[in-house]
Amino acid sequence: MIKFEQVSKTYAGGFTALNQVSFHLEPGEMAFLTGHSGAGKSTLLKLISMMERPTAGRVLINGHDLKRINSRQIPYVRRDIGMIFQDHRLLMDKTVLDNVALPLLIEGYSMQEARKRVQASLEKVGLGDKLRYYPMMLSGGEQQRVGIARAVVNKPPLLLADEPTGNLDPKLSTEIIKLFEDFNRVGVSVLIATHDLGLIARLRYRTLSLKEGRMINDGLQEN
Amino acid sequence: MSILFRSRSQGAQQVKISGFRRFVMFWVHNAQQAVASLGELVRYPLASLMTMAVLGLSLTLPATLYVVVKNTDAIGSDWQEAAEITVFLRKNLSQQEVATFTKRLNLSPDIESVKWIDKNEALAEFREGSGFGSALDALSENPLPDVLLITPAADKRTPSAAETLLRSLKGEREVEEARLDLAWLQRLEALLNLVRDGFLALALLLCIAVVLIVGNTIRLNINSKRDEIMVMKLVGATDAYIQRPFMYTGVWYGIVGGIIAWLATALLIWWIDDAVRAISELYESQFSLTGLNLQEMLVLWLIAVGLGLLGSYIAVRKHVATIEPQ
Repeated sequence: MIKFEQVSKTYAGGFTALNQVSFHLEPGEMAFLTGHSGAGKSTLLKLISMMERPTAGRVLINGHDLKRINSRQIPYVRRDIGMIFQDHRLLMDKTVLDNVALPLLIEGYSMQEARKRVQASLEKVGLGDKLRYYPMMLSGGEQQRVGIARAVVNKPPLLLADEPTGNLDPKLSTEIIKLFEDFNRVGVSVLIATHDLGLIARLRYRTLSLKEGRMINDGLQEN
Repeated sequence: MSILFRSRSQGAQQVKISGFRRFVMFWVHNAQQAVASLGELVRYPLASLMTMAVLGLSLTLPATLYVVVKNTDAIGSDWQEAAEITVFLRKNLSQQEVATFTKRLNLSPDIESVKWIDKNEALAEFREGSGFGSALDALSENPLPDVLLITPAADKRTPSAAETLLRSLKGEREVEEARLDLAWLQRLEALLNLVRDGFLALALLLCIAVVLIVGNTIRLNINSKRDEIMVMKLVGATDAYIQRPFMYTGVWYGIVGGIIAWLATALLIWWIDDAVRAISELYESQFSLTGLNLQEMLVLWLIAVGLGLLGSYIAVRKHVATIEPQ
């Protein structure tokens, strides 16, 4: 699903965020990406969502080399990737319904059609009765779940999450991860960047570890 | 529409939308976005109205100048048509001789009509109008000559043909002096050209100013929605999709600005019309400004909308693309 081949990323100014990173995430696989802050987790996710381009090496999604994707095609790539952020990136002046419907409206759905799917998506994250709420009226965990509902509303084959549990207590974190497991069970590939080592230890998923831009462990050791 | 997952539109049935639907929804979304941008403008009425007023009032000045030039052109051509030659006759001619001369001129193919102003009538009129009645009484004889006002034939009214006619009239035995006042016509023409050129330059400058002002307003709008634009880009909105509401905002500026320009132009013309009428009365003519006609109003409106659109287009091209998610 996601394949990195000797990928390096050096930012303007000379900081090398990723150094010859290679790994392969199989379709339908769920994995954690871990490392200290500054180890290159965010950069790696940005390369997948095409917010950045690699300095060297190849990034492939479903066998397609992202180098071949021009900047006009980037939006279409992003529609295939559900993205979840630590700060959830919701539009605060829009209702939960409008927030979650956004990816569908962009794809050309009418609001009436979108509403059904928004409802289904919100029910999946347990917020089926909060359509008319504004994000400010929800708790941190609920806001995060709205973000997840938005990421999965158009059923992308790939989910990326950047510190999705960063601001949540362990109980809420477990609930969020359970949601990802549910999506993974129906065939969605999931990559979760986190430095919550306790969470990783409790769940026995493949763990990719970054340190100072290098992949020190891609979790594929025979264990 | 998926680039990475060819089978996705089949795999996830619910995501599938037909091309026709997409086309229809494109227009539905356009309409929705147009209405939404209008709603946005209504939410900040003062700021929006100020930009609209700047747009409208900037167009008012060139529009008014245009009206003035148009009207002056109309009178100018009237006067050009009626270019008259004034012929002063020798004083020692008898009434009989003047009448014969007038008749002879009337027969000439170069001349359309001749109007004779009798020196006695002219004196009587002058006596009444000028207030020099008693002074005139002191004169032993009428100081005024007989005057003929000659209108050249239709094809002899151009300045050069009229000049030739003038020369031949001067050669006549009965004629003391003949005048064709072309100088003032040429002066008027030059003045009109000056106003016309000034109008064009001014219109161009003001249009550029309007584009910059609208562009700047839209730029501020874009910046205030930075976060929203970033989120939209993250979930896969194309630049075109993000740009559209801002472009519609520009169009709305133009639509309302154009109406403001109509009203302000009408008001301005109404305002100067009194002064124009006063001047034309001094010249003993009936003249009043005609404002913009329907076609010109539509053109003015289109220009306003075009400028609003251009300003917003420049702003979105420059600024939406530079906002990239972090």
